[in-house]
Amino acid sequence: MSRLSAVAKKGLGDPALAELVVIRASQLNHCAFCLDMHLALAREHGVSEKQLDLLDAWEEAGDVYDERERAALALTEAVTVLTDGFVPDEVYERAAAHFDDTRLAHLIGLVVAINNWNRVMVGRRVAPGEYTP
Amino acid sequence: MTNGDDSTTTVTTPEYAPEQPARMRWAKHAPEVYKTMVRLDAAAQQGLDPTLVELVRLRASQLNHCAFCLDMHTKDALAAGESVQRIVQLAAWEESKHFYTEKELAAIELTEAVTVLTDGFVPDEVYERAAAHFEEAELAQLIATITVINAWNRFGVTTRAVPGHYQVGDFG
Repeated sequence: MSRLSAVAKKGLGDPALAELVVIRASQLNHCAFCLDMHLALAREHGVSEKQLDLLDAWEEAGDVYDERERAALALTEAVTVLTDGFVPDEVYERAAAHFDDTRLAHLIGLVVAINNWNRVMVGRRVAPGEYTP
Repeated sequence: MTNGDDSTTTVTTPEYAPEQPARMRWAKHAPEVYKTMVRLDAAAQQGLDPTLVELVRLRASQLNHCAFCLDMHTKDALAAGESVQRIVQLAAWEESKHFYTEKELAAIELTEAVTVLTDGFVPDEVYERAAAHFEEAELAQLIATITVINAWNRFGVTTRAVPGHYQVGDFG
């Protein structure tokens, strides 16, 4: 599973965006350990406090996130919340407009991978606060 | 259209909606991710009853609405000797518990909790019921199996993998 995350993240080639995506999925899945860990990693990668603070309301946050980040976040939400529906064409196409097939495939892989971790950590109730970068 | 005696001999083919093409062949664009998924899948199911594994995969794929995954795992389950009745009843397992063992029910319930994280956590009673039927190592494999089918479901739905063409053994 570590390898899955690593190859997906590498293929996306944008560590700061990767952390935003991973944190958003972890918010939706309520994974405390994952949030604790990836908030620390995001700060390490230079993601701004403002981007981290407003992530839960990114759609309403104006220009805090650029169009590429917004497309990635919209896709992240759709891929994460499958039980309420599918991945809408407009969400997929918006992402496809900002990422070529290779980067998009790895972005999807990254969202899938963090969903894996969210499930394992919530399933086993791994406590937050133990992670140090 | 036909009339008279012809109507009894004419075979009409229903007009189904057109098949939607896949959005992307993700395995081609992210081959290392795909290979890692295949390895993860193989590792997760080790030591688990294959019948149980297919039930878990089917239930998660139902919840995540992954058409390709339902096609594949229904065919795999049937080929492995699973009954049509148990597959059909799976979507309503809470009302048809007498088709499943207590161990299977505990696994199916855990599958639902781990799959639908966005509506809440994994309740203690659900986890403990599973822990009562599966020893620690087996439970870890089960959680991994639930996680991995969730992963395939996400790839399948997002890239719109096309259902209907899978044949048992396609992926070895």
